Amino acid sequence: MLNAKIPAGPLEKRWEEYKGHVKLVNPANKRSLEVIIIGTGLAGASAAASLGELGYKVKAFCFQDSARRAHSIAAQGGINAAKNYQNDGDSVYRLFYDTVKGGDYRSRESNVHRLAEVSANIIDQCVAQGVPFAREYGGLLSNRSFGGTQVQRTFYAAGQTGQQLLLGAYSALERQVALGNVTLYTRHEMLDIVKIDGKARGIIARDLITGKLERHFGHAVLLASGGYGNVFFLSTNAMGSNVTAAWKATKKGAFFGNPCYTQIHPTCIPVSGEHQSKLTLMSESLRNDGRIWVPKKKDDNRKPADIPEEERDYYLERRYPAFGNLVPRDVASRAAKERCDAGYGVGSSKQAVYLDYAAAIVRYGKIEAGKRGEHNASPELIDKLGKEVVAEKYGNLFDMYAKITGENPYEVPMRIYPAVHYTMGGLWVDYELMTTVPGLYALGEANFSDHGANRLGASALMQGLADGYFVIPYTIGNYLADEIRTKAIPTDHPAFAEAEKQVQDTIDRFMNIKGTKSVDHFHKKLGKIMWDKCGMARNEKGLKEAIEEIIALRAEFWKDVRIPGSANEFNPELEKAGRVADFLELGELMCRDALNRRESCGGHFREESQTEEGEALRNDQEFDYVAAWEYKADGSYELHKEQLVFEECKPTQRSYK
Amino acid sequence: MEHYNMGLTLKVWRQKNKDDQGRFETYQVKDISSEMSFLEMFDVLNENLINEGKEPIAFDHDCREGICGMCSMHINGRAHGPWAGTTTCQLHMRAFKDGDTVTVEPWRAAAFPVVKDLTVDRGAFDRIIEAGGYISVNTGNAVDANAIPIAKDKADAAFAAAACIGCGACVAACKNSSAMLFVSAKVSQLAQLPQGEPERATRALNMVAQMDKEGFGSCTNTGACEAECPKEISLTNIARLNREFIRAGFTYEK
Amino acid sequence: MKWSQFFNTSIGKKLLVGITGLFLCSFIIVHLAGNVQLLYNDGGKGFNTYAAFMGHNSLIQFIAWGLKIVILLHAIVAIQLTFSNRKARPVKYAVSPGNQTSSWYSRQMAIMGSILFIFIVVHLSDFWWKFHYQSLPTVSYEATGEPIKDLYTVVQFAFKESWLVVLYVIGMIALSFHLIHGFKSAFQTFGLNHVKYNGLINFVGVWLFGILIPLGFAIIPVVIFFK
Ligand SMILES: Cc1cc2nc3c(=O)[nH]c(=O)nc-3n(C[C@H](O)[C@H](O)[C@H](O)COP(=O)(O)OP(=O)(O)OC[C@H]3O[C@@H](n4cnc5c(N)ncnc54)[C@H](O)[C@@H]3O)c2cc1C
Ligand code: HEM
Ligand code: SF4
Ligand code: FES
Repeated sequence: MLNAKIPAGPLEKRWEEYKGHVKLVNPANKRSLEVIIIGTGLAGASAAASLGELGYKVKAFCFQDSARRAHSIAAQGGINAAKNYQNDGDSVYRLFYDTVKGGDYRSRESNVHRLAEVSANIIDQCVAQGVPFAREYGGLLSNRSFGGTQVQRTFYAAGQTGQQLLLGAYSALERQVALGNVTLYTRHEMLDIVKIDGKARGIIARDLITGKLERHFGHAVLLASGGYGNVFFLSTNAMGSNVTAAWKATKKGAFFGNPCYTQIHPTCIPVSGEHQSKLTLMSESLRNDGRIWVPKKKDDNRKPADIPEEERDYYLERRYPAFGNLVPRDVASRAAKERCDAGYGVGSSKQAVYLDYAAAIVRYGKIEAGKRGEHNASPELIDKLGKEVVAEKYGNLFDMYAKITGENPYEVPMRIYPAVHYTMGGLWVDYELMTTVPGLYALGEANFSDHGANRLGASALMQGLADGYFVIPYTIGNYLADEIRTKAIPTDHPAFAEAEKQVQDTIDRFMNIKGTKSVDHFHKKLGKIMWDKCGMARNEKGLKEAIEEIIALRAEFWKDVRIPGSANEFNPELEKAGRVADFLELGELMCRDALNRRESCGGHFREESQTEEGEALRNDQEFDYVAAWEYKADGSYELHKEQLVFEECKPTQRSYK
Repeated sequence: MEHYNMGLTLKVWRQKNKDDQGRFETYQVKDISSEMSFLEMFDVLNENLINEGKEPIAFDHDCREGICGMCSMHINGRAHGPWAGTTTCQLHMRAFKDGDTVTVEPWRAAAFPVVKDLTVDRGAFDRIIEAGGYISVNTGNAVDANAIPIAKDKADAAFAAAACIGCGACVAACKNSSAMLFVSAKVSQLAQLPQGEPERATRALNMVAQMDKEGFGSCTNTGACEAECPKEISLTNIARLNREFIRAGFTYEK
Repeated sequence: MKWSQFFNTSIGKKLLVGITGLFLCSFIIVHLAGNVQLLYNDGGKGFNTYAAFMGHNSLIQFIAWGLKIVILLHAIVAIQLTFSNRKARPVKYAVSPGNQTSSWYSRQMAIMGSILFIFIVVHLSDFWWKFHYQSLPTVSYEATGEPIKDLYTVVQFAFKESWLVVLYVIGMIALSFHLIHGFKSAFQTFGLNHVKYNGLINFVGVWLFGILIPLGFAIIPVVIFFK
């Protein structure tokens, strides 16, 4: 039975209580306690900075050339916090409730409540660091609204919120580096966890420039290595995002929670051809003003402007009159897929729908003309004024679209399609963020997280920073307080040697295959299997096929992959090979998890479990648990369940009609 | 937008490691779609090289959407290629036509040694930030975020400076390999915020000292950095850095 | 930061170049104002009187020596910077952007400056050296009484030499480009970059220092040559 170590007492008092009674480590002892942190994204950088400030000896690792380049940098929209600056009725409770509901009742209430409680502190902390959030003319912070909520609680910095938050955390981290409390290892990839007497005691890392393997000791190891959306090959994640750190932990005994929960974001720039290497997100905010449609006729090849109004199908407005274009991400994505699968898609690939700003331009143009007293404004003037308003609100996104597609979105509707964006699944952790391996923690997107089966927009940044700034500094003390007598273990300990040998063997094996196909070849194949059979819609038959196909692909990979160059140098192909090898195992587990969960919830849609209108149908009776998978042997996993208890938010079916 | 296919001659800098001399190699690529990004064209080239049993070209990249600052190619004499306000990863093949010859080099600067092929080491930037590119506030010490109002134009200007992605194109574009635009972006961001006030003098002094120590050149105000900066960081930031530094140099007691 | 450290940083050195540069800018205005008298049809009276006054007034002598030190300081620090800038890029690009991202003269400050330096050396040895340390023919005017050195005639004579005229014109072209960039660059170096004033600074830099002043200087030898 999994013990989440949820403190006793009423929900809203648990975190206070916990903090009041948690064990502490005195400053002198902190100096001799070493903590390893994998990842310098929002979760990792904030944790490294905060633990460094407390006096722990921290080593932080990332595979990029600088800590500032972690994938968190790419987040666009914003970060939620229950500040209620807008006086619109927000509160810790509302943020908590929205998150549990948005997650389709598949998250742990106690964690989500804590997240909502610390959310306000995050904004304070970031502002103190000099994060330039958007402000109103009065000099106070500005908010915008995001999907799945009825209040304005999203703080933002233009379309670069993740960048600004990460640079704040990064600068705090670099300050600790300057003070000697944190040592940074950039261009280093963690390739294994070292366990001694059942506890996580260190890692094996590869210096990506020299190819040398290194042993690092730590009294505790924190994984903040991000999400695994790249198992689909094409996703909005950065090219290097991977599951390796989390997967190695899984193989060392950490359970993997809800691997099948993936978020598919509805508004991304569609695939343009075989060569596509990644997909670009167009912020959710675009759905505020844009209208989504496809032609009513199949295979309609006319230009969008030539299709008259009555021959257009605004399918979201048609199906969900109450929420229209603003339905949650999972619903919007599935609806787009449904239209394209039925043959109504647009563009050369037919895998796209229109996101149209023509109506918004006219609407804003008229308002603007009205403001200037031009009551009989010509259509040209209205068009001009409208475009100006749209440019001010969404200019950077429109520019981005234009750069990628070469089309002018002010003139022709944008083509969009859903894409893999975020993974709610990850390493299972208890209330203290510890995995099932003592001393091994997971933070940020790498853990199975507080988002249940679907994450609300602007909540990932909040969670990453909550974990790093405000949760781990308390909870790690509870563990390390008992470790003060543990001297740093020399890295010539047999456990280190053994782990290093394993890593070396794997690398040698890669280099010796000398096959005929590139790593990308296999990655793309895996991605296609995952997207077709474990993507936006899943069914038993497809998942079973996918498992077989992945097993076969994995075998082929280990026989036929070609890795040029040598292992003792900077070798990006070798790095990719290691990551894809892990994806090839994870992909199978995702399918197994999806197969096991015979219900639809959030981002996980099982075709067998839907209402008559084709909406997702949850099965709380049988599936209100966290599926935590234990690795037994290659391709063999044991399911453990953490029963979810809903004391405050009673599960109901979501409806957006 | 009409799409077309093209063939290109690529002259690419190849260098095994930092100690290697390095040289140009010439490659041909065919059937490149105008819809591809420049890095996707490199993916195709690398795939070809792997299939031919040769070593692919090492280049830095991660987000491929112009925000992480990892990509860094000097294309036909231009940092991040011919488009203004664009990173290498955002550059698309529409910028080229069939039969073009494209020369691709790494960032060139003593402070950015080549790691391999088109990959360079930009650790110097991190060390400059370490020297003072932060506000010394420990976690948990913050006052309420709205306790200090900040005029919108100040906040916007701070944000515009903070948009720097640390790519190093400014250094690559500058005839002096000067890092002034990068350093000024950080100093400007923090100098314009009340939170940055207490460390204003030491920040400017220490960051500039570190910049010099790393072996970047000085600023001749040619403006090439601003012209090539993918985030369009303005030269006014360099003026502000000069102001901050001179003020600190003349008034700071230590 | 100690002064010695401050002026050894890249910005500190630029500050020196900028201050000395702008000082030189102010000097050339005065210098031109004096020199246009060479074009007056007064047989050299105005010019010679002016030269004598300048040569004997001790405050002006002090400034004149300071000026030479300033030129040297400017040149030495600027060249020092140029060398360390070169060192910052040991391997050059095979393809350079040319003038797409910056103006050629902003990149060639050291070349223009060096031409200027050669020009200044020739100029000083031709006139200043002769005036102070060689015996020159003298003239007397009623106003001054005493006989004074006839630099006017020396100049008129010198500028019959075509190579010297060409050198002067080249020198002034160099000055023009050096200052079109240099004048506004100095303000940027001091941190003075403001939308409300940039237009004015640019205008003065281009029209006064880039065109009028170099043109004024260059016209003198040319007119004398063709006289
Ligand atoms: C395009 C896009 C837009 C988004 N917009 C928003 C938004 O507006 N609001 C929001 O709340 N969320 C948003 N998200 C989600 C959010 O950005 C991420 O979930 C979050 O930033 C993850 O942070 P992290 O710290 O957990 O991991 P990351 O930022 O992914 O960092 C992972 C770190 O781990 C390191 N690492 C990984 N593996 C290894 C290894 N083996 N060895 C060494 N180091 C390793 C990496 O180098 C990196 O430093 C967005 C996501 C995307 C893709
Ligand atoms: C004696 C020969 C001279 C040399 C070798 C020289 C050289 C230089 C160089 C190399 C620079 C660029 C420094 C940099 O930006 O890194 C420079 C700048 C400048 N020079 Fe000169 N110069 C000379 C004479 C002059 C003269 C005679 C004047 C003025 C009449 C002048 C005015 C300036 C100005 C204003 C700048 C700009 C300073 C700044 O950018 O802050 N220079 N000079
Ligand atoms: S200032 Fe511009 S060019 Fe320089 S590092 Fe920042 S973003 Fe890149
Ligand atoms: S790859 Fe991230 S900016 Fe180009």
